[in-house]
Amino acid sequence: MSAIDISPDLPSKARAKTISARIWSEAFASTEFRIGLIVFTLLVAAASLYPWLSDVDPTKMNIRAKLSPPILMGEGWSWSHPLGTDQLGRDMLARTLVGLRYSLLIGISTTILMVAVGAMIGLFAGYFGGRVDTVLMRLTDAQLSIPMIILAITILGVSRPTIPSIILVLGLAGWPVYARVMRSTVMAERKKEFVRGAMVLGATDWRIMFTLLLPLVLPPLVFVAVLDIARMMIFESVLGFLGLGVQPPTPTFGNIIADGRKYLMNAWWIATMPGVFLVLTLTSVNLMGAALERARNKIYAGA
Amino acid sequence: MFLARFLARRLAQGALIVFLVSALIFTLLRVVPGDPVRLMAGGMAPEALIEEIASDMGLRDPIYIQFGRYIGGILQGDLGQSFVRPANGAAVGGASFDDSTRSERAEVWTLIAETAPMTLQLAVLAMAFALLIALPIGIWGGLRPGGWPDRFALYISSVFVSLPNFWLGIVLALLLSVKLKLVPAIGYEGFAYTILPAFVLAIEIAPFIIRTLTVSVAGVMSQSFIDIAAVRGLTRNQIIFRHALKNSSVPLLNLLGVQFSMLLGGVLVIEFIFDYPGLGLLTINAVMQRDFPLIQGIAIVTAAAFVLINIIVDLAATTIDPRLEY
Repeated sequence: MSAIDISPDLPSKARAKTISARIWSEAFASTEFRIGLIVFTLLVAAASLYPWLSDVDPTKMNIRAKLSPPILMGEGWSWSHPLGTDQLGRDMLARTLVGLRYSLLIGISTTILMVAVGAMIGLFAGYFGGRVDTVLMRLTDAQLSIPMIILAITILGVSRPTIPSIILVLGLAGWPVYARVMRSTVMAERKKEFVRGAMVLGATDWRIMFTLLLPLVLPPLVFVAVLDIARMMIFESVLGFLGLGVQPPTPTFGNIIADGRKYLMNAWWIATMPGVFLVLTLTSVNLMGAALERARNKIYAGA
Repeated sequence: MFLARFLARRLAQGALIVFLVSALIFTLLRVVPGDPVRLMAGGMAPEALIEEIASDMGLRDPIYIQFGRYIGGILQGDLGQSFVRPANGAAVGGASFDDSTRSERAEVWTLIAETAPMTLQLAVLAMAFALLIALPIGIWGGLRPGGWPDRFALYISSVFVSLPNFWLGIVLALLLSVKLKLVPAIGYEGFAYTILPAFVLAIEIAPFIIRTLTVSVAGVMSQSFIDIAAVRGLTRNQIIFRHALKNSSVPLLNLLGVQFSMLLGGVLVIEFIFDYPGLGLLTINAVMQRDFPLIQGIAIVTAAAFVLINIIVDLAATTIDPRLEY
């Protein structure tokens, strides 16, 4: 009997392994994913190589070359500062690319933390059900109804913002959505035969949760999480803009733009140029994320 | 009867959520470092005075006692008084902190009630703009899934979602109000000052509406009752606007409920950039000044608004689509 019950699950498990690969190849086939990937790779390469290759120090001031405009725009531009310089003569390109590094670092680690916390809470709530579920889900509801940004600026505003604290605050503010999705899929999966079979065979709850359920339900969640990297990068820059992000002199998109706002009338490029880079990066991440999400929906609807 | 039971249950759940939110924020504000009394009394105030003021205000009591007192106040409709803001709007000297000036502190409830309509005006206009942008793109994309309108919808929403609101606000203020002098931007002296902030906010909301619309319109259009509608002799416009759009408005409403907090985050930043005197600017200032009662008040009011909006959304959804259950 059990042999009959288990055998139909085998092909579906084999297919579950290939689902991720199928989503990747489906997404890779789309134009928007390729455009996004190319732009993203170029930007990441620039961010990781340029500050190191050109040895332009993003925090080095040069008052004599202050407020020089980008190439071919306005009076007194020079090749040595392709994006111009700011009010203290610091090179904008180097500053922007260093800002991009921090933005990516915070965006990606925040998303990982967010997915990890959300997935764990959802997994426990969905698997154990009952009282654990009620408590965890009411907590999730409460967290969902505090606007994330109010929470973030409240915590960072009254304590000192550092990179780990920013990652922690953003990550802990963003998990509820993942917890909800995770809970509902786990609840659907745990009633299925393979889970009951494993229980009959004497597998512990931990074994079922982490070796059977998690590998099955996590991948669809992770594909959607790519879009959240972009959202977190925006949040990071918003925090920086409000003065609650990574503190100067470290350049980030947020604090460069906040600085540049004061010089908007006579040096428009300080506030706008980093923004262009930020928009390019975000668009490329979003295009990849949207393509992955579409591919995922297509595969899951068809599978 | 069903309605009454639904409302009772949801309101009870909502009250619980608001209670949890206030407990969370309250504890958080007491646990994180940073003494609000130090800010109120000024950096030069002697340590003894600060301790005196703090114990006068009950800030040195255990957290649960402070919280009990606070909740007691809320149940009587009293959100407390701002630590920093005086009722008459004048600046206060930090050390003049005796009982006579305390009574002149602004009520948190008044501060919120004064600024909330401004934010509501901004939010409603932004929503109108967002629908104006998103409806045509979204419907068009949904009618031709896989075709180039669909692709266009995907690209444009990817670009919109990638525009950081504060940057877009600065760029548009530079272009439209400084260079072209089309609309005023900074401060508030009349309705015209709402237009640009609302537009920036609309760009932030629009991609979510576009995405939801394309998916749901495409879903509805592939169902058989749409095919049959054409046989029944309905014109294409009738089919799209009466059948397809009505059915796709439910996911749109749900989106509104879920994305409420995102909308609020956007409002916060945009009001800060444009110096628009709404709830968002109030929040940022409250955080900067460590005005605990004001932060708590705003958090509670927004949580309550979130709960209410979600109840209204669910009610509206069942009115539109009677198949849904309460």
